[in-house]
Amino acid sequence: MDHPPEHPLQNLLRKLELHHRLGDEDRQAVLNLPYRRRSVEAQSYLVREGDAPDRCAVVISGYAFRHKLTGDGARQILAIHIPGEAVDFQNMFLEEADHNVQMLSRGEVAEIPRQPLEALTLSRSEVGRAILLTTLVEASIFREWTLNIGRRDARSRIAHLLCEFAYRLAAQGMEPVRDYELPMTQEQLADATGLTAVHVNRVLKSLAAEGLIERDRRVIRFPDWQRLRDVGDFNPRYMHTLPATDANAHLG
Amino acid sequence: MDQTSSLAPLVRRWSGYTELSDEDRNAIQRLPFAERIAPRESYLVREGEPTTSCMVLLKGFAYRQKLVTDGARQIISFHIPGEFIDLQNAILDVSDHNVQALTRTQLAVVPKPALLEIMAARPAVRRAIWLETLIDASIFREWVVNVGRRDARTRIAHLLCELVLRLRRSGEAERSVWEFPITQEQIADATGLTPVHTNRTLQSLRRDGLITLANGELSVLDWEKLAETGDFNERYLHHS
Repeated sequence: MDHPPEHPLQNLLRKLELHHRLGDEDRQAVLNLPYRRRSVEAQSYLVREGDAPDRCAVVISGYAFRHKLTGDGARQILAIHIPGEAVDFQNMFLEEADHNVQMLSRGEVAEIPRQPLEALTLSRSEVGRAILLTTLVEASIFREWTLNIGRRDARSRIAHLLCEFAYRLAAQGMEPVRDYELPMTQEQLADATGLTAVHVNRVLKSLAAEGLIERDRRVIRFPDWQRLRDVGDFNPRYMHTLPATDANAHLG
Repeated sequence: MDQTSSLAPLVRRWSGYTELSDEDRNAIQRLPFAERIAPRESYLVREGEPTTSCMVLLKGFAYRQKLVTDGARQIISFHIPGEFIDLQNAILDVSDHNVQALTRTQLAVVPKPALLEIMAARPAVRRAIWLETLIDASIFREWVVNVGRRDARTRIAHLLCELVLRLRRSGEAERSVWEFPITQEQIADATGLTPVHTNRTLQSLRRDGLITLANGELSVLDWEKLAETGDFNERYLHHS
């Protein structure tokens, strides 16, 4: 099947419209943003803590992750980003990056200069609202992660993370995907959930033994989604996704 | 209505984020609000409820929390006078967590439409509001790190450093003793620890001469050492 080559910011538009619908002119204005397209290797840094960023990066392909290091060198992963997501919208306004962003896999990013991006949020108030909403939903996800790590056991933490990822990968307003390629190693899963890699390995084995997940190399499937949700104490409310409507079906 | 209450603390903090003109300052001061007194432990915002207003804490302390299904509680942030406790709800339709009064509190309840209006009319105020929510988000990230990758002693020292620095910047810089109404159980819920572990850790911080904490008052005896113990780098507060 032939597809016309897609605009690199098309997926950003889809992600923005998870939270706020835009009219045609606003959509076009987003696509008209200046950007620089760049190939990036796995593990390469997009942002370093302490930088004074002059641009925001949007993932075109591959995965990225945010993290922070403690004084003694332990790493905490703060978020995983999938194609279409901006990895550092907050740096449009904050003067100094307060954490690192690295590629999880090899991929491509579009880097949008900070100034025209901020100008667009002012000249087009609906685009501004959509971007503001995106940053507010990110904050909500950070809150949920604090709860996940602070007050859930290892099994629930991992199940919760797997459920969140299934929702994030879903098309707009659609059901969560029931299988995906998990881009994270067990060590990275551990760093996202405040566990050790050994503990994560044990939990994944026990989830598999109970029939809640099936793994085939990096692909992970969920034969009993409802039970996985229960185990993960997962309620998607914190993701603030708009319900699907016919009007946006073409975006899926 | 108490004649002395005003949104002046808000103007002061937001001026620190971004340049505000006299008109901007006046517009903030003129935001309509209803005053509300809430007793200790009462709910100010409930998870799942549609949002209609945002609240500025005029007096007292508050905290945000989330519950897991089996009832365990995670405190997500503490708030001190002069701060919004739920500014994100100006834009979000439904609240995704709870906010409770930690002490008896006095609040200014600002209707959402007034906030949306000032954001639309005044770009500098909009920027300040956006920055405030972004700094909130940065603090949430730091808390993920704190509960995920620091040991008990470091977590508690970090939390105390954050609170003292925020209290200091809220206008009483010269103090060495702080009103500190947060209970040990609440510290435990903010750091993902048990109350017993929290008690033991606070005792060790006292024994080592870093703090005293008694009768609702906190003194920091050795800020340098407390900051070092807490792996505390204030960058994430973005000068707030």
